[in-house]
Amino acid sequence: MAKQQTEVRDLQEGSYVMIEDVPCVINSYSTAKPGKHGSAKARVEGKGVFDSKKRNFTQPVDAKVWVPIIDRKQGQVVSANNGEMQVMDLETYETFTMRVPDGVDAANEDEIEFLQYEDQRKIV
Amino acid sequence: MFPGAVADREDARYVLLGAPLDISTTFQPGTRFGPDRVRRFARTFDDFDHHTRSHFTDLAVHDGGDLRAWDDAREYLDFLEGMVGDARSDGAVPLLLGGEHTVTVAGVRACDPDVFVCLDAHLDLREEYDGNPLSHATVTRHALDVAEEAVVLGARTGSEAEWDRASEADVTVVPPGEVGEWTPDFGDRSVYLSVDVDGADPAFAPGTGTMEPFGLFPREMHRVVRAVASHCVGFDVVEVNDRDDGQAATLAGKLLRAFVFAHAAGGDDSGR
Repeated sequence: MAKQQTEVRDLQEGSYVMIEDVPCVINSYSTAKPGKHGSAKARVEGKGVFDSKKRNFTQPVDAKVWVPIIDRKQGQVVSANNGEMQVMDLETYETFTMRVPDGVDAANEDEIEFLQYEDQRKIV
Repeated sequence: MFPGAVADREDARYVLLGAPLDISTTFQPGTRFGPDRVRRFARTFDDFDHHTRSHFTDLAVHDGGDLRAWDDAREYLDFLEGMVGDARSDGAVPLLLGGEHTVTVAGVRACDPDVFVCLDAHLDLREEYDGNPLSHATVTRHALDVAEEAVVLGARTGSEAEWDRASEADVTVVPPGEVGEWTPDFGDRSVYLSVDVDGADPAFAPGTGTMEPFGLFPREMHRVVRAVASHCVGFDVVEVNDRDDGQAATLAGKLLRAFVFAHAAGGDDSGR
C-alpha cells in the first residue's frame, strides 16, 4: 500500500500529504477556530516531493486525507553516462535508470540515498 | 457577497476576503461588523464606472466570504496570511475587507511589497499599545518589517516616539493638506495599499473606532487610490464599524471598487 488515510488534524509540518494526487511535504500548517457554528479548518501548504511545486488546501480538521508512504532507500550507481545513471537498490538488488540531477556528480560505485514513491525517485 | 463580485475562485483576478477582527480596538469597537456592512452599503453602486468605461461584474472579482476571527491575533494573522498568499500564488490580487487595521499585517506579509502605502489619520508606528505588539496602532511598524519604505498619507496624529520614527528615511508622512497634490513615484517597485477609513475626516466617515478631526476629503482619497492602484500587489480597506448611518461603509466600498477599476485598467501588472 503506497498511501494511507488520516485526518487533516493529524498532519504536521515536515510530514507528507497528498495534495491534488501529488505527494507533498508540508511546509506550513495553520488552523482557524470554529466558533459556535461550523467546524475548525486547517490550511495546509506543501511542496511536491518530486516536482517542488507549491500546492495547498483548506479543509475541516476532521476531513480525511491521504498520506503517501515514501521510502527512503540506499542505492549504488552501476553506471553513469549522458546525464543518466543506472542505480541498484541495495535492499532489493533491482536496478533502475534515472536522470542524473543537476549539480550531482555521479560515478560508478557511488552510494546514494533516495526517496521512492511508486515509480518516482529523488536523490536526497 | 460583495455586489458584482460574481467570479468563481478559479477564474478570479481579484479575491476579496472579509477579515472581521475586532479585538484590539481601543475606543469604539464594531469592526467585526465591517465586512458585512461594506457589502451592504455597496448595493446601491452602479456596475458601470465611467472613469475606466468598465463594468465591475466583468472584472473577475471573487468574494471568498469572511474568515471568522477569534481572539488570538497571532494565530488569526497566520491563517489569514496563508489565505491571502493562496490568492497571490493563484495569480489574483487579494482585497482584504477589515476588520481592525491589524489585519493589514497579514496582507502585507503575504504580498511582500517593496513599498507600503497607507491612507490613515494615525502613524501606527508604535512598537506596542497597552503591551500588545499586535495592536491596530502598530501596523505601519509591522509593515516596515517587510517593505523597505512606508508612505502614510493624511496622518495627523501620533505619539512623540512615533513622530521620531516617522522622521527616519524609510517613512514619508504626507499631511492632510498636501495629499491633494501628492503623486506616486514608485518606478517598478511593488506596492501594498491600505486604506484606513479614519484617514477621512470624521464628518465623512464617523463609523470608525478612533475618529481624528482635520482629515481627508473622500475625493482626495479616491484620487490617491486610483493613482496608486496600478502599482499594487494587494489592497485592503479597514476600520469600518457599525456606529454610523453607513457613511464609513459607503466610502470604504466605493474606494475598494475604485481600486479594482483602476487596477484592471492599468494593464496586466497583477503579478508584480
